[in-house]
Amino acid sequence: MVENRPFLSFLTHLVLIIGVVLVAFPVYLAFVASTHGEGDFLSGLVPLWPGPHLIENYRLMLTEGISTAGAPPLWIMLSNSLIIAIIIAVGKIAISLLSAYAIVFFKFRFRLIAFWIIFITLMLPVEVRIIPTFKVVADLGLLNSYVGLTLPLIASATATFLFRQFFLTIPDELMEAARVDGAGPMKFFRDILLPLSRTNIAALFVILFIYGWVQYLWPMLVTTDSRYYTVVMGIKRLAATADAEPRWHLVMAAVTLAMLPPVLVVIFMQRLFIKGLVETEK
Amino acid sequence: MATINLVDLKKNYGSVPAVKGINLSVKDGELIVLVGPSGCGKSTLLRMVAGLESVTSGRIEIAGRDVVKAEPAERDIAMVFQNYALYPHMTVRGNLEYGLKNRGTPREEIDRRVKEAADILEIGPMLDRKPRQLSGGQRQRVAMGRAIVREPAAFLFDEPLSNLDAKLRVQMRVEIRKLQRRLKTTSLYVTHDQLEAMTLADRLVVMNNGLVEQLGTPTEVYDRPATLFVAGFIGSPPMNLLPVSALDAASGFDILGLPPGTDVVGIRPDHLTLESSDEPSLALPATVELLEPIGGESHLHARLKNGDHAVILSVPGRPEIEEGATITIHVKPADLHPFNRESGRRTDTAVANP
Repeated sequence: MVENRPFLSFLTHLVLIIGVVLVAFPVYLAFVASTHGEGDFLSGLVPLWPGPHLIENYRLMLTEGISTAGAPPLWIMLSNSLIIAIIIAVGKIAISLLSAYAIVFFKFRFRLIAFWIIFITLMLPVEVRIIPTFKVVADLGLLNSYVGLTLPLIASATATFLFRQFFLTIPDELMEAARVDGAGPMKFFRDILLPLSRTNIAALFVILFIYGWVQYLWPMLVTTDSRYYTVVMGIKRLAATADAEPRWHLVMAAVTLAMLPPVLVVIFMQRLFIKGLVETEK
Repeated sequence: MATINLVDLKKNYGSVPAVKGINLSVKDGELIVLVGPSGCGKSTLLRMVAGLESVTSGRIEIAGRDVVKAEPAERDIAMVFQNYALYPHMTVRGNLEYGLKNRGTPREEIDRRVKEAADILEIGPMLDRKPRQLSGGQRQRVAMGRAIVREPAAFLFDEPLSNLDAKLRVQMRVEIRKLQRRLKTTSLYVTHDQLEAMTLADRLVVMNNGLVEQLGTPTEVYDRPATLFVAGFIGSPPMNLLPVSALDAASGFDILGLPPGTDVVGIRPDHLTLESSDEPSLALPATVELLEPIGGESHLHARLKNGDHAVILSVPGRPEIEEGATITIHVKPADLHPFNRESGRRTDTAVANP
């Protein structure tokens, strides 16, 4: 809708600005808090401008952590989160690409049933199946390991479903042309389907990376060894100190650092993301 | 260079027969056009030859080799698709090379063939572009190029021109014909456009309901349609098909001597004239309903007085005739095509028909 009414555009901008402020203010507050010293936040007056302790706070968190809260240095948790998010995103994309390829391009018995079984798992998110999944993972001896942290989260239908929808838009003739050109199933997949799905893969990677990064419940359950803590669950530990006021300035430094990687992924992958939406290669 | 032989080829989709037993032998270097209305099985037939569709029964021989169980790539054929089916993420060069690379063709050979095809099709300057940067006609050329570089035993064309606009279609039609003459590659060409079929074909296969209605050169098919279906399908405007009762009152009917069993008579619109000639002819009184001038000639829609049958005449120029006027239509006895409605076939001679 393109309308030239000054009042209307003022109003729409106002609504947008209010929205941005609502979203951004807590983030800003977290950042401000992470730059102040011990006790500044317990005085009752919340400072609104950055303080002088920025480098000091961040260095402390990255290298030492708060041992009294049972949290390891932040860099361990950050790299754990990074590894887990990447394994989950890559694993999910790989598995769903292959299963969508099978479902769309091959005609085998029970194809439809296979599709529906995968589709039905959409109704069973991690939280619903968490007890049996935990039991299985525990019995396999995968507690406190990257495999145990990622494997149950990799199996999912969402990405399979998205790739299926994309593959359905690829004309049959393309596959037939490839067959006439002497490309077998895997060659067709590698030479034609994968390059065509590039932008979809990038878009999904962004979504799945963030999905993996913000996992809270599952890492909490399967890790008891602080070497495998992820940053999102670590924050909870930092804040929940017994018999003492939480050291907010340090907690907020951790929060700011935890927010950073997803933001970076969005910013840098966004170009691919938009390219995927604008340039339809068909 | 090869022949294609189809022997009693059948295809069923479940219990529905799509192709009901086709026998056809394509000579070396010949261009055969399969033409017919949609759903007549012509595309299915072509896809069976290509190996993209399984065969229910029968044999397909390409260059003397039975290929029914062979993969498309092993059949030594190249196919041009209706929607071009170019690989969108590859450059034109990549598209041309892909099939050759998959076969392990040496690099120098690939380069030679790509250059040759690019020269023939005049797509040299576009080799490094992506398909989406090309126009419809250019994409069509690239699709043809992809077929040429393979240097296959046979080309298979699946309605390659139907996505182009009318002008380009005529142009590409001529080019395909020239190209095929030059390369002398055995070709099967599927189309629903009868003009394309008439102009391209060495021989024409008219198909209907999964069966061959008639096989012959375009002139044979036009001049002596073997069945009522072919008579109605080939030719534009279509042949007038009139029951004999519409003619029997006309003067000159007794001299016709129609073969026994004739109950339908076909007359091409351009064989109906307004002027009587010296030769004995049949005279049919009619009323003009509509005159359509289409440039060099005009289509005259008239209704016969006897039996109320609509006929179309194709007359040269723009005759000065009012709509509603009464005219007399003349037709020479030799221009009548006698048919039997029951069998759907010609009654004057037995036409050899598979």
